Amino acid sequence: MSYKVAVIGDIDTATGFALAGVSYTYVHADKDGTLAKLAEFMASEEIGLVLITHPIAEELGAEFRQVMRLKKLLPVILRIPDKTGYMPKVDELYELIKRAVGAEIVVRAEEG
Amino acid sequence: MAAVAAAVVTPTRMELLRLRRRVGLAQRGHDLLREKMDALVIEFFEVLRRIRDARVGALKQLSVAYRALSTCSAAMGTIETQQASKEARHELEVEVSARYIMGIAVPTLEVEKVERSALARGYSLHTTSSLLDEASREFEKALGLLVELAELEESARAIARELEKTKRRVNALEYLVIPRLKATLKFIMMRLDEMERENFLRLKRIKAMLEARA
Repeated sequence: MSYKVAVIGDIDTATGFALAGVSYTYVHADKDGTLAKLAEFMASEEIGLVLITHPIAEELGAEFRQVMRLKKLLPVILRIPDKTGYMPKVDELYELIKRAVGAEIVVRAEEG
Repeated sequence: MAAVAAAVVTPTRMELLRLRRRVGLAQRGHDLLREKMDALVIEFFEVLRRIRDARVGALKQLSVAYRALSTCSAAMGTIETQQASKEARHELEVEVSARYIMGIAVPTLEVEKVERSALARGYSLHTTSSLLDEASREFEKALGLLVELAELEESARAIARELEKTKRRVNALEYLVIPRLKATLKFIMMRLDEMERENFLRLKRIKAMLEARA
């Protein structure tokens, strides 16, 4: 099955990915508008991948995590850095490891 | 805990046999789940290792792309760049299918020909700078890598969810169900032994009484 890609980001991110051929781009302005758009993307049948920049994901906060928790298999959501290269200090993936494997987080933290 | 279990159970031989079977079943289930958990952990770490590599590459490419876009905006003008991005063809599609790891559905994302030729992009070539082509190309490359990364991260998330669930089941069996069954089993065995001793004693007494009478 073929699916389209959507991007939620600042104007530069949206411009860049639009140049690369992404079908839906949304420029973040305020929290409510973006949340509504995100919900629309999530409900859409033809979108398979949603890219959202880290700062926006963080601004959406709990609502965004709620969306992540409740979503079905598709679309896949991926958080990407914006042009400032900002990455959150707490890596969500490490949280995942901590929850899933418990104590083995230590082993991994040493090798990585 | 044993007392709770004992209150509802009737100490009979039938019950004992039934319980023994249940303990055996629980134990086998526990072993199987344990094995599943081990396999999932191996899979999980394999995916994590791949994420780490993919992430480095994708993020590097993405920052290259942002830089190229900045250069382009500076040379061509921000408005013109945005205009061109609106004119570009937006028909990129990813192929999504499901893959199964230990019975968990994880999506696989695949994208064909992310990188397009300048002509295929759809913006007007003679009004735009070659820097725009450059920026588009870098973003296309970045997008390809991000799609890969998205697949991996989603897999990791799915495996972690399953792992958590399996872990909870293993623990429930190991620390709750099996000890409780074993406690009940022990209670029944003790009770049966006790009844046997009582019976034995009763017979001895009767025999003594009969002998005394004779």
